[in-house]
Amino acid sequence: MQVKVIFGEENLTEDVPEDYTIKELLKKLGIPSETVVVKKNEAIVIEEELIQEGDTLEIIKVIFGG
Amino acid sequence: MNSCSKCGNQQIIIRKKHSGQSLCQECFIESINEKVLKDTRKYKLLEKGDKVLVALSGGKDSVVALHILNSLREKNIIDMVAVTIDEGIKGYREEGIEIAATNAKSLGIEHRVMSFKEYFGRTLDEMMGQDGTGHGDTRRQGDTEPRHACTYCGVFRRWILNRVAQEEGATKIATGHNLDDETQSILMNYLEGNINNLIRIGPKSESRDERFTVKIKPLREIPEKEIGLYAIAADLNVHLAGCPYAGESFRREIGGFIKELSRDHPTIMYSTLRGFDKIKPILKKELTPKGNTGECRRCGEPAAGELCKACSFLEGWE
Ligand SMILES: [Zn+2]
Ligand SMILES: [Zn+2]
Repeated sequence: MQVKVIFGEENLTEDVPEDYTIKELLKKLGIPSETVVVKKNEAIVIEEELIQEGDTLEIIKVIFGG
Repeated sequence: MNSCSKCGNQQIIIRKKHSGQSLCQECFIESINEKVLKDTRKYKLLEKGDKVLVALSGGKDSVVALHILNSLREKNIIDMVAVTIDEGIKGYREEGIEIAATNAKSLGIEHRVMSFKEYFGRTLDEMMGQDGTGHGDTRRQGDTEPRHACTYCGVFRRWILNRVAQEEGATKIATGHNLDDETQSILMNYLEGNINNLIRIGPKSESRDERFTVKIKPLREIPEKEIGLYAIAADLNVHLAGCPYAGESFRREIGGFIKELSRDHPTIMYSTLRGFDKIKPILKKELTPKGNTGECRRCGEPAAGELCKACSFLEGWE
């Protein structure tokens, strides 16, 4: 299934399997989960949250270097 | 399991690994506000009538500190002034200053911007030789490697904050240091054997010298990640960017190491802090350097030797 991913200036479309979690998506994208806050369809979610077809995921980096 | 431990709301935004607590957006914001104000009372960081200078970079930590402390200002318990330091880091600092100003304005807090250039005649970029003026080699006699930008930045920033605090009649200087910063400092100073700096770490500075304004860290027990989450959850306007000079510092290495450890040991930062806070009074009693602080012959600020740190750097460049 396809989801929209917004990360900084980047707008991506990602193909992910069913029952994929935010945590797995971050791992796939190579983004350390402890440095970001993720919004799913504009609401903040935890990394165990499941992703559904057509979701928009905004990944906000809040921790920089160190 | 998947609902807020406080109110039962199904939409949780955090599950704390160290306590098992889950919280919804509203209860999370409330819990941070309460924790910070509780720590403020516990460590006696503030007294009624204090004028608090908030060192406001525009980054998440200082903006969150500003907003939470403002609740005490609204109750007329304290007065506040926000100060942003313009180190002169091109392409980075400008946006932070603007965001800092917007935050102060939205809360109706007086805001001042002080620059390295105006106080010391050169920006941090110039000190680091990024502009071709040739101040670039920051090596001093006996140094094998040039000093890191963070060293200058820290020394000059402290100098300005202390000076402005005196000018403003501020009784406290509040900074946004978080749990990650604090554990990094403990580990860094310990590993480097820098015991003088180690025994100065704490929620509140304890200099007996009245010329130093007392510094407080209201966010000291809040993990950095939670401050980031708070800023997003409370929809605060924060400068989300990394300092271009933070690159290869030892602090960053240590920070990465602790964050790595925290993944499998979620309480490690809390236990590092708790353990340190327990042994600190003993270390301090045994190891506080004797001797009085004099005055810097160049700027008049308190100094251990003839010159304060800031002036010794400046003289080295003249
Ligand atoms: Zn709740
Ligand atoms: Zn001086």
